[in-house]
Amino acid sequence: MVAPAWLPTAWALFQGLLIEAMPFLLIGVLISGLASWLAPGGQWLRKLPTHPLLGPLAGAALGFALPACECGNVPVARRMLVAGAPLDGALGFLFAAPVLNPIVIASTWAAFPDQPWLLLARPLGAVVVAFSLCRLLALLPEEQLLQPDVLAERRLNQPLSAVTLLQRRGGLVGPEPASPAVASTRPPLLDVLHHSSGELLQLALLLVGGCALAAMVQTLLPRQLLLQLGGAPTGSILALMALSLVISVCSSVDAFLALSFAAQVTPGALLAFLLLGPVIDLKLVGLLGLLLRPKGLALASGGALLAVLLIGQWVNLWRL
Amino acid sequence: MATVTATRLRAAGLALWGLVLLRAFADGRLALLLRDVFHPLVNLAGMVLLMLAVGLLLPLGRQSATIGPARRRDWLTLAASTLIALLLVLLPPNPSFADLAQQRPVDDTADAELTFVLPPAQRSLTDWVRLLRNQADPRLFSGEPASISGFVLPREDGQPLLARLLVRCCLADATPVGLAVRWPSDRPLPKRDQWLQIEGVMAVQAAPQGEELVLVPRRIQPIQRPRRPLEP
Repeated sequence: MVAPAWLPTAWALFQGLLIEAMPFLLIGVLISGLASWLAPGGQWLRKLPTHPLLGPLAGAALGFALPACECGNVPVARRMLVAGAPLDGALGFLFAAPVLNPIVIASTWAAFPDQPWLLLARPLGAVVVAFSLCRLLALLPEEQLLQPDVLAERRLNQPLSAVTLLQRRGGLVGPEPASPAVASTRPPLLDVLHHSSGELLQLALLLVGGCALAAMVQTLLPRQLLLQLGGAPTGSILALMALSLVISVCSSVDAFLALSFAAQVTPGALLAFLLLGPVIDLKLVGLLGLLLRPKGLALASGGALLAVLLIGQWVNLWRL
Repeated sequence: MATVTATRLRAAGLALWGLVLLRAFADGRLALLLRDVFHPLVNLAGMVLLMLAVGLLLPLGRQSATIGPARRRDWLTLAASTLIALLLVLLPPNPSFADLAQQRPVDDTADAELTFVLPPAQRSLTDWVRLLRNQADPRLFSGEPASISGFVLPREDGQPLLARLLVRCCLADATPVGLAVRWPSDRPLPKRDQWLQIEGVMAVQAAPQGEELVLVPRRIQPIQRPRRPLEP
C-alpha cells in the first residue's frame, strides 16, 4: 500500500505542533498541581467575585499571574472549577488568560510596534469575548455545562449553601469523598504527583488528537486559498477566523505569524485572528472537552465565533 | 504477581513522554520542526518529565489510601501513550518543503527584520530577500557575487525559485521566501524539493511587476537538506 503524498508533511506538522505544545501543557499541569499542594481546598479561589461583570474580569486578570498559552491554561482552569471557584471567574480565566498575560502582550507589541491600536484592542477584545462567553454559558445549568467528573468534584468543594443535598452526591455521608474541611489539609506530595501525572497523561492524549486533526486539515487545505478570500471586509474576517481555527499555534507566538499576512488583510480580520485562536482551535477542542460537555463546548465555540466576528466587523468600520 | 499500582503506570507514561522529548532534542529533528529558541524548553520539559517519573516511584512520603491498583483506564492510557511514543521515535519527520511553501503566502515581513548588511558573498538567501525588500531597486545589486542554498520551489507562472522557509514558532507557521534563478537552458530544470547550493552573480531581468533580481549560476551543486533548514 502506498501512503498518500501529503502524509509525510502532515506527520511533520503533527510532530511540530505536539512537541511545541507539550512543554506548555506540562507548565500548566505543574502550576495546577503546585496550587493544589500549596493551597489545598483552594479557599481563596472560592472568594473570587461572583458579580456577573467582576467575576469574568477577576478570572481574566489572573492571566497575568500565569504566563502560559491556552494549552497550559486548561489544567489550571480545571483546577479552579473543581476547587469551587465561581463559574464566571474560572471561565473568564480559561477564555481571556491566554491573551491577558505578559508574554502574549509583549509578543503582540514586538510583532506590531507600528500599530498601537492592536496592543490595546487585543486584550480588550479578549475580555469582551470572555465576558460574552461567561454570560452565554451561564444560561446553561452547571449539570449541562461541565463534565460529570469535574462537576462531582466541584460540588464537594462548594459551600453547602451553594448546592443542594441532591446535587452533592457525596461528602456528607460515608467515608469516600473528602469534605472541604478534610480537603483543606495539605495532601501528601506523592498524591499530588499521582493526580497531576494522571491529568497530564490524559491531556497529552487529547492534545495528540487535536494536533493530528490540525495537521491534517492544514496539509489538505491550502492556506493561500483562505487568504485569497480575504479581500472583502467580512470575507477577510471569516477567512482569518477559519485560518486561526486550523493553524492552532500558541497565543504566545500567533502575533508573529499574523505579521506575515497582515498587509494582505483588513484590520478587523487581523484582530479576529488574534482573538479567536486563544479561545478555540482544532488543537484545543479535545482539551476543552475535558471540562465542558458537548453542549457547552458547542455553545462556547459558537459564541466565540459570533463575538469575534462582531468585534472584527466593528474594527473594520472604525479603521477602514 | 505483585499488584501494579496506578502510580507505577503513570510513572511509566511520564517517562515515555520525557524520553520522546529528549530523543527529539538529541536526534536533531527539532531543527526541522521548531524555531531554535524553543529547543531548550523541549529539552527541559523532557528532563522534568523524567524527574517526575522517578519522583513517583520514590518513597517521598505518606501516600494516601485512595491510590490503589491500576485500573483498566490506566492501562489504556499507557498503551495509547506507548503507541504514540513508538510512532514518534520510529518515524522521524520528513516534510516536503515545496508542498508547505506552495500552500502558504509569501512572507511579507522580511523587510522588518533586516538589522545589518553582510558582504554579498556571505549573504544567505533570506538575507538577499530582506535586502531587496528594503532596497526596492534591484539594479543596485546587479553584478554582485552570491553563494546561497535553498530548496527548489516550483512556480505556476514561471521558472522555479530557490526558497527557504521562515518560522516564528513551529513548522505549522512556516512561510516561504524565494529568489529567482536563471536556470541553465542546456540542462533540465531541477526537481521540486531538491536542495541546491548555487554560486553565481546577481543580474536584473524583466518580470510581470517590473524588474526583478535573478541569480545567474556559475556552479550548481545538489546538497543534502541542511541540519538547520528553517530560518528565523
